[in-house]
Amino acid sequence: MLRYTVRRLILTIPVVFGILVISFMLTRLSGDPTDLILPPDAPDSAREAFRRINGLDRPLISQFGTFVVNVFRGDFGNSLRFHEPALSLVMERMGATMELAVAVMAIAILVGIPTGVVAAYMRNTPVDISVRGVSLLGQAMPSFYLGILSIIVFAVWLRWFPSGGRGTWLHLVLPATTLSFQLIALIARVTRSCMLDVLGQDYIRTARAKGLSERRVVWLHALRNAFIPVLTVIGLQVGFLLGGVIVTETVFSWPGVGRLAVQAIYARDFPVVQAVVFLFAMIFVLVNLIVDLLYAAVDPRIGYR
Amino acid sequence: MIGTLLRKTATVALVSASLLGAGAADAETITIAQNFDPQTLWPNGTTASDNLNAGSAMVEALFWQNPATGVIEPLLATGVEMVSPTEALVTLREGVSFTNGEPMNADAVVHSIEIFMDEDQTPAYSRVSNLFASVEKVDDLTVRIMLSNTFPAFMLALSQISVVPPAYWNEVGLEAYGQNPIGTGPFVFESWVRDDRLVMSANPDYWGEAPAGITELVWRPVPEDSARLAGLQTGEFQVVKDLPVSAIPVLENEGSVSLVTVPSYRIYQIGLASHEQYVSPLQDVTVRQALNYAIDTQVIIDALFFGRAIPLHGQVLREPQPGFNTDLDDYGYDPERAREMLAEAGYPDGFDITFKCPSGRYAQDREVCEAVAGMLAEVGVRAELILLEPGEFLRQLRTMELAPMYFVGLAPQDDPGFQASQYLSDWRYSPIANAEMDALIEAGATEVNPEVRAQIYRDLMALMHQLAPIVFLYGGVDIYGVDARLTGFQPRGDGRMFFYNVALEE
Repeated sequence: MLRYTVRRLILTIPVVFGILVISFMLTRLSGDPTDLILPPDAPDSAREAFRRINGLDRPLISQFGTFVVNVFRGDFGNSLRFHEPALSLVMERMGATMELAVAVMAIAILVGIPTGVVAAYMRNTPVDISVRGVSLLGQAMPSFYLGILSIIVFAVWLRWFPSGGRGTWLHLVLPATTLSFQLIALIARVTRSCMLDVLGQDYIRTARAKGLSERRVVWLHALRNAFIPVLTVIGLQVGFLLGGVIVTETVFSWPGVGRLAVQAIYARDFPVVQAVVFLFAMIFVLVNLIVDLLYAAVDPRIGYR
Repeated sequence: MIGTLLRKTATVALVSASLLGAGAADAETITIAQNFDPQTLWPNGTTASDNLNAGSAMVEALFWQNPATGVIEPLLATGVEMVSPTEALVTLREGVSFTNGEPMNADAVVHSIEIFMDEDQTPAYSRVSNLFASVEKVDDLTVRIMLSNTFPAFMLALSQISVVPPAYWNEVGLEAYGQNPIGTGPFVFESWVRDDRLVMSANPDYWGEAPAGITELVWRPVPEDSARLAGLQTGEFQVVKDLPVSAIPVLENEGSVSLVTVPSYRIYQIGLASHEQYVSPLQDVTVRQALNYAIDTQVIIDALFFGRAIPLHGQVLREPQPGFNTDLDDYGYDPERAREMLAEAGYPDGFDITFKCPSGRYAQDREVCEAVAGMLAEVGVRAELILLEPGEFLRQLRTMELAPMYFVGLAPQDDPGFQASQYLSDWRYSPIANAEMDALIEAGATEVNPEVRAQIYRDLMALMHQLAPIVFLYGGVDIYGVDARLTGFQPRGDGRMFFYNVALEE
């Protein structure tokens, strides 16, 4: 287990390097930040001064060298707009994003899995059909649209929740439910199909035959065996979630990393974009490592050496 | 039964909780929703209005241009005496202190102007500051500024110099100052949670007339248009900037909210590049005039902006500006005439041309371009519409890769000199090279007699109208939603909001 973990961690080194190269190259390909940060009628001398101060006038390869060396010292450079270390700008907002992401995941899992189990158990009944219908809708509806709709209904008409911002748990309700809607739909669908598969297995018949209660059969024996693919999907959806927060944070004025990323991309604030991409990629890699390790906990037949 | 009761209780709890949430913004707090969180609260750090609005509530300038009158009025300075066209003596207000106790005097102003003149620290303002040659202290309340040339927009420049306390500035430096500024303004920095809320409290020792009834300002960044509108409707925000035109019908019937519309400095136009190197039919002035007849600007204003855009009257200066030429008017929509002129210029069957347009930079930009392309097709000009991401658009504007034909909205500072200089032959995004225009532009840039200067610009506008380096489209309108209890609130055409002469009524 430990050796496996260490091996996996070593394997992330080329991934990290790849992320650094890609994020560096993609940002530079997008163009010159001077155009966006200084007004269009700024004189050439001011443009040159801006480029010189921010090191944008140096050859790309030398900029990249400095970037990589500094990253390993935890320094992503200073934001071109805020004149502050990019990493601290991102970390300042990470708490808000994690709060939202954890709430979304919790809602998605707590609602999605039971829904999928019930739909599978009551296969082809009206319950199942409506779950399938709603999940299809959930996966098809873009989250920004759902977000704006929920602001109009729950903030403007009903006045139950604030229209945006962060503060009390009330502020969390609308963005978290909006973003979890798609995930609930996906998790419910995957759970349903895995459960259907498992419920037809011999060992389920055996469990029933030895007189176990239906509740035990379904929620313990069947669910545990159906859980591995669900877990994989959840792990992979962390990527979706990190992408989804970008939209949701913008719609709900949530002060998180996603919104910072959007603004940084629009302004070509290279250091900030690079820091966000790097951290999000790291989170994705780590979560999926944890998911792999969880397989062993869920299924004793899986062992890591 | 129990279920219903529970549901009811939950609803009551939610409602009361949300009422509490709204109640936290009590009668004396003004919450302002803008698009962006400021990057820096030092007003000379950027030219972006969302930054300047917040920063200048705390850090004041020597003068300010009052949006209600357009007049540049004293703030930390009380007056300017021009000893010669290139030497100015600025008199400062007596008895003003920064909120950390440092005196606002000639030392502070000299220090601030030196920062303003330094391109490394203040690159965004170098277009205004590059005529400043030197600055020195005369006595405690007088500062001498030497200019390298006559500078008609000098007062406008003075209205943009924010005055900072030297000891504090030198202690913390430019960046930290921008995060926790100290100034002389009606509000004092309280706290700032990035991307969430910036809180300022009223300055109890403010030297001037403090905004009555307001004890706290909260600035909230709300990037989504519909969320800003929603917050205004629920009373979470008292001031909302940059509402979309579609918000107007929604808000017109809300008694608690007033709509404030402000003619923007931004002039929308289609550049028709005619420089020698941009070979196209647009090099022929008859063709450029024909295109002006081909576009129905009134339809664009009515259909795409619900009438909330302003006709240009065939010129790029706005009506209140000196040099606005009342003899000029829009070309008028006349497709028949456009077709005749095109035939006369040798294009009886029209021509093909690329038409570059930003997507997502200006209000309704894409829709305007589609409408324009459609109208051009009516007279036989087949415009191939190329949509550009805003950053790429700005790059191509600077390098003039947008040529020969492009849609752009330009918002230079409020002096005809800045507007005119965008059409100088060698300016990086000028669509035209014309010696006669250059002569007028250069004369206006240094002429200090206001009457003579206005006449120069009137002549320039007439000449430009005839040469048609652009299709004159429309002037923008900015839309603000404001709590009806707030009086005297008057934003400026460059997106600037001030809290002078503002009061919150009970």
